Amino acid sequence: MSNDVADGAAAVDGAVLRTVLVNGIAASFEAPPATVLTEVLREELGLTGTKVGCSAGDCGACTVMIDRAAVCACMVPVGRLAGTSITTVEGLTGDELGERLQASFLRHAAAQCGFCTPGVLMAARALLGTNRQPTRQQVMDGLGGVLCRCTGYQAIIAAVLDVDAADPVTVRPTSGKAVGASIERVDGRVKVAGTDVFGDDDAPDDALVIHVIRSPFARAAFTFCDLESFVSENDGITAVLTARDVPGVNRFGVIAPLADQPVFAEHETRFAGEAVAAVVVLPGFDFSSIEFPVVWAALNPLTSPALALHPAAELVHTDRPANVLVEGFVQTGDVDAVMPSCAAVASAEFDSPFVEHAYIEPEAGWAEVIDGLVVIHVTTQSAYMDRASMAEILGVAEHRVRIVPTAVGGGFGGKLDLSVQPFLALAALRTGQPVRITYSRAESMASTTKRHPSKLSVSIGADSNGRVTAMSFEGVFDTGAYASWGPTVANRVPIHASGPYFIPNYRAHSTAVHTNGPPSGAFRGFGVPQAAIAQETLFDELAGRLGIDRLEFRILNALTAGQRTVTGHVLEGGVGIRDCLEALRGPWADALTRAQSLNRANDRRHRSGIGVAGIWYGCGNTSLSNPSTIKVGVRSDGSVVLHQGAIDIGQGSNTVISQIVADAIGIEVHRVLLRSADTSITPDAGKTSASRQTYVSGMAAYLAGVSLRAKLLAMLDASFDSEFVFDAGVLRCHSDGVARSVDLRRLPVDADGFVVVAVESYDPPTTALDHNGQGTPYAVFGYGAQLIELSVDTATGRVQLHRVVAAYDVGKAINPQLVVGQIEGGIAQGIGLALLEEYLPGRTNNLHDYLIPTIGDVPPIETIIVETHDPVGPYGAKGVGEHSLIPTAPAILNAIHHACGIRIRSVPATPTKVLAAILKRGAA
Amino acid sequence: MSGVAFAYSRAADVADAVARGGAPGAAFVAGGTDLLQLWKAGRATPTELIDVYGLGLDGIGVDGDELSIGATARLSDVARHPFVVDQHPLIAEAVLASASGQIRNMATVGGNLLQRTRCPYFRTAGMACNKHRPGSGCGALDGEDRHAALFGAGSSCVATHPSDLAVALVALDATVEVSGARGVRRVGLSELYRLPGERPDVDTTLAAGELITRVLVPRAASIGRLATYVKVRDRASFEFALLSVAAVIRIDAGTIVHARLVCGGVAPAPWRLPAGEALLIGQKPERGVFTVAAAAAVEGAPPLPGNSFKVELLRRALVRTLTTIATGS
Repeated sequence: MSNDVADGAAAVDGAVLRTVLVNGIAASFEAPPATVLTEVLREELGLTGTKVGCSAGDCGACTVMIDRAAVCACMVPVGRLAGTSITTVEGLTGDELGERLQASFLRHAAAQCGFCTPGVLMAARALLGTNRQPTRQQVMDGLGGVLCRCTGYQAIIAAVLDVDAADPVTVRPTSGKAVGASIERVDGRVKVAGTDVFGDDDAPDDALVIHVIRSPFARAAFTFCDLESFVSENDGITAVLTARDVPGVNRFGVIAPLADQPVFAEHETRFAGEAVAAVVVLPGFDFSSIEFPVVWAALNPLTSPALALHPAAELVHTDRPANVLVEGFVQTGDVDAVMPSCAAVASAEFDSPFVEHAYIEPEAGWAEVIDGLVVIHVTTQSAYMDRASMAEILGVAEHRVRIVPTAVGGGFGGKLDLSVQPFLALAALRTGQPVRITYSRAESMASTTKRHPSKLSVSIGADSNGRVTAMSFEGVFDTGAYASWGPTVANRVPIHASGPYFIPNYRAHSTAVHTNGPPSGAFRGFGVPQAAIAQETLFDELAGRLGIDRLEFRILNALTAGQRTVTGHVLEGGVGIRDCLEALRGPWADALTRAQSLNRANDRRHRSGIGVAGIWYGCGNTSLSNPSTIKVGVRSDGSVVLHQGAIDIGQGSNTVISQIVADAIGIEVHRVLLRSADTSITPDAGKTSASRQTYVSGMAAYLAGVSLRAKLLAMLDASFDSEFVFDAGVLRCHSDGVARSVDLRRLPVDADGFVVVAVESYDPPTTALDHNGQGTPYAVFGYGAQLIELSVDTATGRVQLHRVVAAYDVGKAINPQLVVGQIEGGIAQGIGLALLEEYLPGRTNNLHDYLIPTIGDVPPIETIIVETHDPVGPYGAKGVGEHSLIPTAPAILNAIHHACGIRIRSVPATPTKVLAAILKRGAA
Repeated sequence: MSGVAFAYSRAADVADAVARGGAPGAAFVAGGTDLLQLWKAGRATPTELIDVYGLGLDGIGVDGDELSIGATARLSDVARHPFVVDQHPLIAEAVLASASGQIRNMATVGGNLLQRTRCPYFRTAGMACNKHRPGSGCGALDGEDRHAALFGAGSSCVATHPSDLAVALVALDATVEVSGARGVRRVGLSELYRLPGERPDVDTTLAAGELITRVLVPRAASIGRLATYVKVRDRASFEFALLSVAAVIRIDAGTIVHARLVCGGVAPAPWRLPAGEALLIGQKPERGVFTVAAAAAVEGAPPLPGNSFKVELLRRALVRTLTTIATGS
């Protein structure tokens, strides 16, 4: 028998004292040998910069260096560590090259949500340790093992290549010049340092741990055995929670009248992964071998809308006849009369699968009860909606719940619904102790919302001049077991399915159908990406039949100011689609020439092609009030503090809202101190969704800033265009040749510490839609178009992307670098939708079977920012977050057709499908 | 932590490892990248782990007429070893097509050869899988079977072997050196693996407690020969193969005199295609010859409904691999 003294050769569970060298310091802790390094770093040593995204070596967020080589810390058992030297992201501070990397990441905005950033930095640091001047390809090889879901990787590559920038420029705009400047993210430094606090990063050491018991079946009945003995017979178990323990309403949902999802299922589960109970255990208690006393009886599930719509199908919810959640409808003109007379009609059916958000941070948080107030620290996109839902669930008034959003490691719509919040609150109330929970990757993927699978049947007709005159659209969306954002998808799609084009005769109908799939909810684009695949690929077919260049066909039909949209809405200005498409004319001509010459030069196996697609997207809720409120004030020491509740999930609202408010007040943006979202501090700025924060919260920030400026100048008795300064606690200005001042230190201080404060709200002007879907659903639309160059390996069906050119009308780019970041990140997710991603319930609950794009899957992206001033938004600005994803998939499919003549109408276009289509075409 | 606790110790030497490795519930661990993942998923439940990482079995060098790669050599070290890069580039190609940089910095050669299938039905807790528990059924047969095997599978199991390296090594006629209770033996890498048959839970012909100590590649397998590795997958990197091909040929006076065609991702083990190899011998290295050989190589492959595309994909990958070798591009 060999005993390794350093490791103590422990018996089972033997926690022995170990010493490891971390960031040059010897650290001691007790742990059994199977404990993995991530757990030691995070839980024993408090080094929470190293993140856990999958715990399976699939995502690379936990990358650290062991003896200068990058490894996944989640796969290293501590029994292995004696004699090694470990470097984590915290160890980059004080390391010259490490600090250069961090600075370069800040300059290039290479960190968005910041959750993968420590892993990316460590992989890059290891690469630079062996190769000081890597090529682009070497950077891509070196970073190939870290997944980033936000950035689209281009900024990361640029940052690593630019690590030795000789003369880095820091953007520090003077007062009034922040809007339009690419300032560094105001929350960027903590992200590159690894010190930003995410959902799993700051639970108290003594917090109890929650484990959720979930249905292994898509549909099942269940009964509990003796839960009381289960608790009393297991020393480490503190409590068990089930539906009976929900004091308020055991039901939640983002659209209150349709709230239907229980915290814990009551008699029957409706999807695989649905919670039935939660077990609260002591910290450190090993729950993995505990058998929970529940008996399952699997029932026959409805696995598709086709089955659910069958007249004999059982009902997923007894109060929803025919398993239909909602329908959406928009109609104008007379499609049936016009379509038959069209010179060309293109019709086809399309389908798409469940798609997973795959943010790298799994759902996590912790909670405690302080003087009757339930305080929930959680990764979320919607603090105020969370608070309202939690008050219902707990049966208490809203002021008894406080939601403190942590940094959010990516959301994309998946963190709009409740996840861990109810378990945390119920457990904290039951035990009276702090509690914590972090979903495993499998649990996150099984239990949270997905993009709606779609089946679309679409026809579009054009006249002989190439004008689109009629379109019909029928869409069935699998909304899964619960409502979630299904109604939003069903309503948004018929409005957007026309694309950004003038179509006088139009009918679009959508149905959200319940099945026993995971709840389909919000995912960047709310169903519009699926619809755009149909419309934009059929546009290509029409252009082909009419012999018109595909880009010119779109320009010909592009919506212009003064024309009616399909909902009868006449946009007076800010309609930038034509500008976007025209901006692509040059790149399009070049790309076409390039593809043609490649196809002449190549062997016949690789075929090059190009594709284009355009989009529009309404910012904010569809025909519903969605106000934002922003507060900004001055403290007696002359500091300006912004209370901005627009949750920054990586997209940059902390920065953008600061820029807007600074210019509105007339101060340097670097003087604005930020208080981010917290329901006890910041006013309600709505949810981070629907590309609404820059526009809606931005307008509130603009109004609040202007209001504060007016108040300050009124105190000085100066005109509105006067310049003022804060001289410590004294506000001073020169106006009309007179020096004026107010001593702020003498003014009364309010509860927030402010001596002067402004609070303003903004709600987009929209109207309800009538029975034909006519009205003003959004005040502002954003527009964009993308051009893709790719090649298809016709031997294997593998698609290789070469270049993307994206032109986006954002009205006004408040921070151009962040706009580019949104576009590049959206394109990466669009690539996933087009080529890789298909979520199969129960089958792909990990990041090695569910494939999201790696650094090698995203080609260079060139962004053209178009600024068609919008009369509505702040400084003319509008949203871009969702717009960026939508055209990518149809542009890729159009390019595949251009390359090799096949039409893929079922995404993802994997080699399997592409090859099958090539073979079919060859056989035909 | 998600798996059941186990005892852990470092082996003192090979003899100590072998002496203890045969005990029920015992398992060797080196890089741990596969075993830990299975353990976390509850699909491997060792009660005792014997760590062989530190036994000094990581040397890479020449031993007589053979390249010797220690079983615990890390994949990243193999891929950049000058001798490997220079003399046996096929091995470096296959290794660099595997996993990610971080994983290659941990994973070892022996562990790579012995990694378990990536079949999701095997790796997901709660799924029916004969490889996990014989007699529990095969979820892949009725389920999503795009990744299922074309060759060598049976009604009990249609899982494929995921290693890239093993495919290259079989094409190079590699053998492995194994230490066990009855001493040291050598076994051809092809013979290391077994087909599922009635015991899909047993992947190899290794006896209990036997430890792979090194891999040996004959010098002649690469000298004067042309070889390449082609891997087809959905994603650009960091993904297991949909299928892969390693081809080695030697041309003498314009005629093919030696041929190895081995494919991955299509069988429970790296799969040689002897019918295709035979049709190459004595022929000129031309596309027409490759097409005929590739067609013969895949003939009779019985696909499942979801993986029939693999037959044509394999045929095309074979033609492509051979063409790449012959044209040097």
